[in-house]
Amino acid sequence: MNRLSLNGTMAKSRIAAARVGIGGPVGSGKTALVERLIPALLERGVDIAVITNDLVTAEDAERIRRSGLIDPARVSAVEAGACPHTVIREDPTLNIEAADELERRFPGVELILLESGGDNLASTFSRDLTDFWMFVIDVAGGDDIPRKRGPGVIRADLLVINKVDLAPHVGVNIERMRQEALAVRGNRPVLLTNCRRGEGIDAIVDLLEREVLFRT
Amino acid sequence: MTMRLHGILGKSDDAAFARRLHHLEHHDGIELLFVPPADVGRKRFRLTTDRGTDCAVSLDRDEELTDGALLFLASDRAIIARFGEQESWRLTPVDQAAALRLGWNAGNLHWRVRFDGDSLVVLLDGPLDTYRARIRPLLESGEVVERDAVR
Ligand SMILES: Nc1nc2c(ncn2[C@@H]2O[C@H](COP(=O)(O)OP(=O)(O)OP(=O)(O)O)[C@@H](O)[C@H]2O)c(=O)[nH]1
Ligand SMILES: [Mg+2]
Repeated sequence: MNRLSLNGTMAKSRIAAARVGIGGPVGSGKTALVERLIPALLERGVDIAVITNDLVTAEDAERIRRSGLIDPARVSAVEAGACPHTVIREDPTLNIEAADELERRFPGVELILLESGGDNLASTFSRDLTDFWMFVIDVAGGDDIPRKRGPGVIRADLLVINKVDLAPHVGVNIERMRQEALAVRGNRPVLLTNCRRGEGIDAIVDLLEREVLFRT
Repeated sequence: MTMRLHGILGKSDDAAFARRLHHLEHHDGIELLFVPPADVGRKRFRLTTDRGTDCAVSLDRDEELTDGALLFLASDRAIIARFGEQESWRLTPVDQAAALRLGWNAGNLHWRVRFDGDSLVVLLDGPLDTYRARIRPLLESGEVVERDAVR
């Protein structure tokens, strides 16, 4: 029994980093969430790296590199060229290569966050690319989004409803939106965040620690 | 307690494992980890076995989880991945005599069972017909009634 042990004391030798996808419509707050997750994960001692996808620029990667939250060398950009979902679903090779390359350069890396370019409600991540993926929507997009049952909303391992601070301004009943999201997802996880103020981030990190990093 | 498992040891129907797995079967040492269709392609997942053991599983990037993959093997226990959900078969004996005979059969056949009031729920590891064939006389005589073959 060389490959395993009880309770996580496994030799950390060559277990690949967990790969976590973050998808969702344009402007829902994916990069803002990454910017909140980075310090929260670092604070818990998780060794991380980041990949961003944009159409034809490295806009989001540059933003994260400049943020001072993480060593800029640990942030890679993949230019999707055309449809953002192509590089996370149909042909994720560019992203897989980027992740492999980060793992080679930073052998201790435990978690790679991968932000997809903004897309529509149908985008999903290939299991070849990510072990776990979340879909970020925001309350300003309307509280009917969960009811529309897009594959992203339904199939994601975690649905994040962001910008809860805007709910009163756009007339959204946040609790009802959450309940409807839980209903269409068969009670799989739904979490609320305000990335502007960093609220709700710990619950996401708790979930990642349990489901993906196996720390608890 | 959590079992932290990494990698696939082999296929549970490999000849190399046959003797050890057979021995474990007779000592109640086989645990099945049911993997729902949506989770099949994952390289990392956390699921609970049919015996309630919490398993945190990771695979190498080039490993593919298959139905019947052996994930853990020790002297007293093995953990095997199974695709889909647990299928079960509910049987109700008509009286005490029938219950004794059904229980005797199920035990000798090493069926995995749960008790549910006045019925016996058999957890299926193979096609239902092969199970039916084992107790056909009891079914045909009406001593044991099949309630449903549900998941
Ligand atoms: N009020 C409020 N604004 C937010 C919140 N999260 C993000 N924003 C704002 O929403 C806008 C879009 O955020 P981004 O993080 O760039 O969104 P994105 O999903 O990465 O966008 P794309 O990558 O272009 O698809 C920015 O102006 C953010 O400041 C939030 O929780 N509340
Ligand atoms: Mg972005």
